[in-house]
Amino acid sequence: MKHFQQNLQKLEAADTQVLGVSMDSPFANKAFADSIGVTFPLLSDWGGEVTHNYGLYVDKYKAARRVNFLIGKDGKILEEQIDNEAIDPTKIVAACERHKLKN
Amino acid sequence: MRKPVSHALQRCLLLTALAILSLPCQAVAQEKTPPPPKLKVGDVAPDFKLQYFTGSDLKDVTLNDYKGKKNIVLAFYIFAFTGG
Repeated sequence: MKHFQQNLQKLEAADTQVLGVSMDSPFANKAFADSIGVTFPLLSDWGGEVTHNYGLYVDKYKAARRVNFLIGKDGKILEEQIDNEAIDPTKIVAACERHKLKN
Repeated sequence: MRKPVSHALQRCLLLTALAILSLPCQAVAQEKTPPPPKLKVGDVAPDFKLQYFTGSDLKDVTLNDYKGKKNIVLAFYIFAFTGG
């Protein structure tokens, strides 16, 4: 999440809202956000319904897989980063800037 | 003089040993590369309604809120208070 925070200005300039999601409680996520200086919302998928809907629930550790989706204004997925690749959001930031130029 | 082991038997033993050795490797490889998520680039992202805590109250967020207005980065992470 820190890496998105570091790129937040670029993403916001490209008309993009960042939302983190995990299966932690809203209060744990708020404490986490404060502790690492994240200013965008960290949403709580308590119970895991959305994580399941997105096909990202991992039985082994009873939590979501690490995946970033860039979703366009039309609601379609423009870019996807999976597992370790999802730690560094450079690809998503670059894609946002490309789409900004196109629109 | 010791009778030499036949070539066929030698080959058989070697193949068996290789097969046994490669089993754990396959298991590890499978674990390291789980199948990609079913949602692909170009698919419509399923709508959701989730909450976050602002510090004073709980606020709802839906994907529909942003439709036609903003792109969304939806970043799923494993647990709070872990790296990345």
